[in-house]
Amino acid sequence: MSASSIKAARPHAEHPGSGPVVWAAIIAGTCLLLLVFQKVLWLVVPFLLALILYYFLYPPVRALIYRGMSRDAAASLVTLAFLVLLGIVGVALMPRLTSQATQWQDTVDRYVQGGTQLLDASLRSLERHSPPLARAHLADTVAARLTQSTGSIADHLEPVALGIMAWTPSLLLAPFLAFFFLRDGRRFKRFLGAAVPNAFFERSLFLLHEIDRTARAYFQGLINLTILDTVTLAAGLWLLGIPGPLALGLICAVLAWVPYVGSILGGLLVVLVAATDFPADPTMAYWAIGLFGLVRLLDDFLYMPMTIGKSLELHPLITVLMIFAGGAVAGIPGLMLVLPVLGVVMVIGETIGLIVTDPRLMARHRHAKALRRIQASADL
Amino acid sequence: MVTLFQPKKTSPRLDRLHELSLFVNLTPAELEIVDGLLHERIYLEGEVIFDEGDEGQAIYIIASGEVLISRQDQGAHVDGHDPAASLPRRRQGDTGRVAQLGPGTFFGELALLDNSSRSAQARAASPCKLIVFFRDDFVGLLDTHARIASKISRQLACHLGARMRTLASSMSVNQRLV
Repeated sequence: MSASSIKAARPHAEHPGSGPVVWAAIIAGTCLLLLVFQKVLWLVVPFLLALILYYFLYPPVRALIYRGMSRDAAASLVTLAFLVLLGIVGVALMPRLTSQATQWQDTVDRYVQGGTQLLDASLRSLERHSPPLARAHLADTVAARLTQSTGSIADHLEPVALGIMAWTPSLLLAPFLAFFFLRDGRRFKRFLGAAVPNAFFERSLFLLHEIDRTARAYFQGLINLTILDTVTLAAGLWLLGIPGPLALGLICAVLAWVPYVGSILGGLLVVLVAATDFPADPTMAYWAIGLFGLVRLLDDFLYMPMTIGKSLELHPLITVLMIFAGGAVAGIPGLMLVLPVLGVVMVIGETIGLIVTDPRLMARHRHAKALRRIQASADL
Repeated sequence: MVTLFQPKKTSPRLDRLHELSLFVNLTPAELEIVDGLLHERIYLEGEVIFDEGDEGQAIYIIASGEVLISRQDQGAHVDGHDPAASLPRRRQGDTGRVAQLGPGTFFGELALLDNSSRSAQARAASPCKLIVFFRDDFVGLLDTHARIASKISRQLACHLGARMRTLASSMSVNQRLV
């Protein structure tokens, strides 16, 4: 949902925009939440994956309910079908993955080596054309530092593998959480709505709806963006003749979920693969860089506004500042979570600001409380 | 699998919903979908449900109790008085009273159609239970379940048509009296 549509539907749209106090509270609230989320990442990550899964599985559940199935049965059937599909894919891929597992370390070493060679060749070429760079022995210095780093990458493979193993049980929570979201989501919405006083009910209902709509638009936009990025990158890599274009495209698209850092990592990955698989043809790596740059441009100016941009249309300055703040407060998880969290906190903050500054609503709430007090003490 | 798609059994709650004029044409399966979108609120006698001038977000259906619909005295605005000054008179129910509605009826229906302000105040005339249907849920229904939304829209159109006929006949009676 775009910000313009939020504003169009926002209650009492004639009110001026939120003031600096509300915005300071929104930014502080977002940072605080990110800080808390970082501490309970073992729960936040499966919760987030479950939300994505919920919005992905919700349309078939709704279709089954409409065809006469109960909500419980529809949620169970769709979740079960998803798990079976996941199991089939896992079983199909398992032999291939296990056969390659032993070669992973060699493969990583080979690609890192290929990237190092490309960088070395590029720097030496630069040195030939630029005497100041040659005098600084830039290529030798970078090569020496990279040799140390590549050694450490290989050393870190084992902890990364152990980390994945440690995270697996937590990630398995995601489908179960998604099942309960699908089955009991409306009860939770009613439960929240019932806790709100009558005077604020319509506004709060609007708030709940906005949060749901913002989250749905964001996560569905993210899924669509990933598909678009994967298809475009895979098509480009296939045209260049780079092996495994679909897998590479998918990995880069998923890495792009982390703003800026993810895109750089994805680009690096593509360049490493191109440089290693075509060692005699460095232009292939430059083509890969060009392709990645083109996809980033398409992403920023076409795909993003078509998908996620529709859900969270924040001011670019606030977006960039909050991404940096998210990274500073909560690291990589902060970078990933900052925009959806900010979107939700923004809706909550602005709506609460509108409610507490409306004297008529507050008066109605006081009046309703007085009526309830009188009713409670009527026969005392 | 066949039993999963058998015609839905009704529950007492769905039966109650089916008795409401807005949902009278819906099948049990359709009612189940709509039921997931509805909220229930309890109001005490004298409690304001919404004010005249509020932005309408939802339609209210009376499950039990009575609701008084009233408007501010137009004369107060003309004389340049504060509109709030007319509130005590409206509260007494002797000025600006438009209608008193009972169980099964609904009000605030224009909120389903546009973003316009509430044209009157709604206040609980007795302790009442209201079913609330939010506009954005109705708009979502138009996209996802057009058949259900069209049945509700038809009932809404019938209701508005009946109200227009009543208004037209009362206006012609007034003209004859003048």
